[in-house]
Amino acid sequence: MPGKRLTFAEAIVEGIREEMHRDPNVFLIGQDIGPFGGSLRSTLGLWEEFGPARVFDTPVSESGVTGVCIGAALEGLRPILDISFGEFLAAAMPQIALHAPAAHWLTLGKARVPLTIRTKVGDGPYTHHPQSYEVWFTHIPGLKVVMPSTPADAKGLLKTAIRDDDPVLVFEHMYLYHGVRDEVPEGEHLVPIGRADVKRPGRDVTVAATAWMVHRALQAARQLQAEGIELEVLDLRTLAPLDVPAILASVKKTGRLVVAHEAWKIGGLGAEVAATVAEQAFASLKAPIVRLGAPHALIPTHPTIRRAFLPNAHDISNAVHAVMKYAA
Amino acid sequence: MIEDPRTALAMHRWMVLSRALDEVCCRESAHWFPAEGEEAVPVGSFYGLRPDDVCAPAYRGAPIVYVMRGAGLEYVLAGALGKRTGFARGRHFNFTAPIELRVLPYIAGDLGPIISQATGTAFAQKYRKSDAVTVVSFGDGTSNRGDFHEAINLGAVWRLPVVYVIQNNHYAISLRLDKATAAKALVDRALGYGIPGVAVDGNDVLAVHAAVQEAVGRARAGQGPTLIEATTFRMRGHSAADTAAYRSSAEVEEWKGRDPIRRLEERLSAAGVLSAEKAQAARAAGREEVEAATAAAKRHPDILPTDLGMEDVFATPVQEA
Repeated sequence: MPGKRLTFAEAIVEGIREEMHRDPNVFLIGQDIGPFGGSLRSTLGLWEEFGPARVFDTPVSESGVTGVCIGAALEGLRPILDISFGEFLAAAMPQIALHAPAAHWLTLGKARVPLTIRTKVGDGPYTHHPQSYEVWFTHIPGLKVVMPSTPADAKGLLKTAIRDDDPVLVFEHMYLYHGVRDEVPEGEHLVPIGRADVKRPGRDVTVAATAWMVHRALQAARQLQAEGIELEVLDLRTLAPLDVPAILASVKKTGRLVVAHEAWKIGGLGAEVAATVAEQAFASLKAPIVRLGAPHALIPTHPTIRRAFLPNAHDISNAVHAVMKYAA
Repeated sequence: MIEDPRTALAMHRWMVLSRALDEVCCRESAHWFPAEGEEAVPVGSFYGLRPDDVCAPAYRGAPIVYVMRGAGLEYVLAGALGKRTGFARGRHFNFTAPIELRVLPYIAGDLGPIISQATGTAFAQKYRKSDAVTVVSFGDGTSNRGDFHEAINLGAVWRLPVVYVIQNNHYAISLRLDKATAAKALVDRALGYGIPGVAVDGNDVLAVHAAVQEAVGRARAGQGPTLIEATTFRMRGHSAADTAAYRSSAEVEEWKGRDPIRRLEERLSAAGVLSAEKAQAARAAGREEVEAATAAAKRHPDILPTDLGMEDVFATPVQEA
């Protein structure tokens, strides 16, 4: 498929544009997404192209607007809700965690809530809102949670999310947002929800990572290659439902697992991945699992301390050395 | 003088049926939320809407609205009795109706989010340029949730075709309204949203119906939402099991004199539309109808331990690799 080189943010906007052209039921709603172009240019150009009949600027009312989206979705529309930053999800928690994922189940499979919620989290050049709250939602039955690491995956997952008949949360990482351009297939490029992706194959250690940590892991892999250690970098990509077969297949091959994410280590997604592997692939493990995540304090806004907080390529290399040296 | 006897008689029948539902269901289930004394609000608000309009009735009184919209009485009762044939098959409270009847379900156990969701169905109605409307009702207690504020503000600023009805029954479980707000009247809040606010006697079904229909007309004409406060009283406890020991019997006695069914019957009798004897016969027929439906529902199959509902978690299953 022919492609063009886009940033992560541009790829997402292109995905939204294509879906809005394809289906008149798709509309965009959120704060400052009109003439302002979205926080961090998350919707740049869409207002100019589609106008106020399809792009709805809202007051600061995350909960009310999420409820409006659920009601609109129950009536057959397909809202794309732009919640500027992850912290603001907390304001809409009853709608996102209690209502959107339960309607289908409660009505014996009749009601549908095809709602896509996109938000921004994580480290980045932007000083504010660095907390990563994605794991709040991976716990909830009925919600799908995706967290892409490349422009192509971002576009493909977003397009799939819009066509999906369930509520899907799309966590967009701020460090990746305006980062390097990458090849993005044009047109019908769909990445399936529920499928992890091996970003780099390797025989020695599996590093299962999310978003920016995928790139940190790839950086570590390049350094470790010189030492003769081959990392397999598994981009989890969909956090709920987790791609358990892909995780098990990788660990069965390498026998060693490091999990890396920016969110807090305690109760984080790494705990779920580690527990799943311990339950289902214990005999394949040659070393204890190592989890990397933020220490259990709020992630600070100042770049210097923030970077010190979050796992980097060096931390990943250290973890890899630890699991390689382990001898039972 | 009754302007539209046919409508008045139909609403009488629904209120009578709602009262009979309470009597039977309070006997059958400690978890039933009785609407005794408040029937004029759900019946007056949701009677006379079109099939493409969306109804989002407050949970207290919602079951009669489900029946008014076309849900089978027997199946509403099966839900209350915990039978497998209930609309939610034991997955949740029985505040769901078949979705094709365009009645919004109570999706979770908290109150308030449905006000925003009803604003969203109105959003979809406007988005599609249809002249259908949404009517949503909720209690005075729920009007203190942030959901109330955000939803009505959004409905107002976007001029959505929605009618907001506060079913003010004076109590949020045990908390009396004057302990919950310093506002003199909940309807005064309309001013803050820039929409019309209408106060109505919530024990006068003809008045409730007229006020809601007028607001529905404005909504259909693209003139945006209305906030209606229908003042009534919760005659029983919060649930069948609640003895309501936290309140005085004097106020309950006072409100007994304002019973909405008897008030309508007095007017119908004075206007020569329905004699007292015929009204008594209608009440007996309502009880019989509910008892017969209850007996039938009791023969429905029970919920099975295998009814876990795993197949309904996702509408779009994740594809196997």
